Amino acid sequence: MAQSATTALSAYPKGSATVKFFFYFSLFYLLLSMVMGLIVALKSVNPDFLTGSRFLQEILSYGRLRPTHVNTAVIGWQTTAFLGIMFYGVPVLAKAPLYSEKMGMFTAVYWNLNYIIGAASILSGYQTGVEYAEMPLLFDIGVVICVVLTFWNLFQTLVRRNERMLYVSIWYWMASIMFLGIVYIIGNIPAGWAGSGAAQMGYYYFYMHNIIGLWITVVGVGTLYYLLPKLSDRPIYSHKLSLIGFWTIAAFYVWNGPHHLINGPIPVWLMKAGIIPSLLLLIPVWSVLANVIGTMKGVWYKVSQNAPLKFLLTGALFYGLACIQGPFQSLMGPHAILHFTYWTVGHAHMPLFGGFSLIQFAAIYYILPRIAYRHIYSRPLMNWHYWLSVLGFIIFGFAMWTAGIIQGFEWMDGKQLGASFVEMMQSLHIFLISRAVGGSLMFLGQIIFVWNVYKTVKSGRLIEADDPILRKTS
Amino acid sequence: MANNAEKNPGLLLFGAAFLVIIGVIGTIALPYFDEGITTPTETAKLKNYPADSAEARGRHVYIREGCQYCHSQSVRPVRADSKLGQPSLPGDYYYDAPVLVMTQRTGPDLTWVGQRYSADWQHAHLLNPQEIGGAGSIMPKYDYLSQQDRDDLVAYLLSLKPALKTKD
Repeated sequence: MAQSATTALSAYPKGSATVKFFFYFSLFYLLLSMVMGLIVALKSVNPDFLTGSRFLQEILSYGRLRPTHVNTAVIGWQTTAFLGIMFYGVPVLAKAPLYSEKMGMFTAVYWNLNYIIGAASILSGYQTGVEYAEMPLLFDIGVVICVVLTFWNLFQTLVRRNERMLYVSIWYWMASIMFLGIVYIIGNIPAGWAGSGAAQMGYYYFYMHNIIGLWITVVGVGTLYYLLPKLSDRPIYSHKLSLIGFWTIAAFYVWNGPHHLINGPIPVWLMKAGIIPSLLLLIPVWSVLANVIGTMKGVWYKVSQNAPLKFLLTGALFYGLACIQGPFQSLMGPHAILHFTYWTVGHAHMPLFGGFSLIQFAAIYYILPRIAYRHIYSRPLMNWHYWLSVLGFIIFGFAMWTAGIIQGFEWMDGKQLGASFVEMMQSLHIFLISRAVGGSLMFLGQIIFVWNVYKTVKSGRLIEADDPILRKTS
Repeated sequence: MANNAEKNPGLLLFGAAFLVIIGVIGTIALPYFDEGITTPTETAKLKNYPADSAEARGRHVYIREGCQYCHSQSVRPVRADSKLGQPSLPGDYYYDAPVLVMTQRTGPDLTWVGQRYSADWQHAHLLNPQEIGGAGSIMPKYDYLSQQDRDDLVAYLLSLKPALKTKD
């Protein structure tokens, strides 16, 4: 029975081997980045944590582990998972098979080898010193090759499509993978090639902002528009609004780099060029939220029955909050107090974990049964995953935001150096402990998630050929 | 409802790339035409270390160990930075590659740290920050660095100071 179900379904255009490969590796990176984040958090509570042997002391030293944590979260977990989502979603929306499954598998294998060796080289001390772009040039080239292969594969799939209309998710996804190429190439140009130091900063902060703004955000919003109508069983409220969002993201996000240097060593005109588009970002963010609210009108009750929908909407909410926080921080006054503090750490985690990781969890819960032909193993575990992730993040976020505000005002009171600085840090101890507690809950949630996925693939209830889940797959 | 443009992925991607390139020109290319950015200051010249000098090697150790994740190198003209010394200018970073302004101040700013402490203090502090800096310090101990690396790192830290020049 199971056999016949699988063969009957194999005609579905899913590129499933590639998708599975990306998904399983992304879960490995998810756990890895969580462990690293937790060690970093514990080292902030006790600097002597894990320094028993010289080897560990060096390899896991704070300054090497932190960039590896960030890369493993953004490039390892999020980018890998989003590639899997696109390799599933583009063929499905095009109603055509993936252009080349072989090329897809090659991309998946190369991508993962490239990332694992790249991350290991940061831990071994070969880092570029540019935040978010720490991997050495060799591995940057590997990333770009994989991005180009992915783009080509998906674009050729679209050229051969059997559905004339391009659903808005296709817009977001195809643009996002193109943006990833552009942002990655410009952002990883070696520092020495750019000339004057202050001009180099343009590249760094362009990259740091836009790997989130033009890649994670765009691919994530595309995923949200893909999942929302399916999970809520309602058409998107406004097609036009989603297009307004698309063009305003493309027009405004890219300018945001300089807002990381407000009050800093750049000319004032450049600060303004960063601040004004930061405020205009409220337009695309609101277009997404308005569309979510419009679509959900009358069917909000479905959230209580549908765990993936719960993840999706909470993700949209945190994305919205992060993008209200962002423009606020980019004003000169608040920036002078909040910049360089722990506030930034909380802010950075809100769109990446609270926002887009939650959307990715929803996507994996939705897609997995359709490529593994098994129902999700356990609903209660999905709920545990949800509550531990969300509550853990809220504890984490508020610990960091509060600590950041205290830091900022203490500096204004003059505790900027020496003994008074250490005294100020001591008063933050409780918040650093709270962060580690919140982070532990988040980590526990992800262990439950990965366990649930493992059990689903191993022993989830098989999907029959006439299961309603398959009729909705398109 | 849909018009023709919505059926053409090539057109869509071209338009999106065009908008992004405008932003790239605005935030990355235009700064090359700003004099403040393209003119090195006296301080920058002081930080233009000859290749393979102790300071240049020390800067490499600084990056390798990730000191920049907790220590910024940028003094802003704001009250929160009032005791850190003179504000940084774009031209101060002229010869830095990469620039180490960074985004966190989990430890104090190091822009002008060369003015504040002696070589002996820096060595002792790197070996045991809790003993020298205060029990509440959360800086890791850098006792695993080789003598050579630590000497170079201290040389680099001591070189971080403004040029003795006219007041502004």
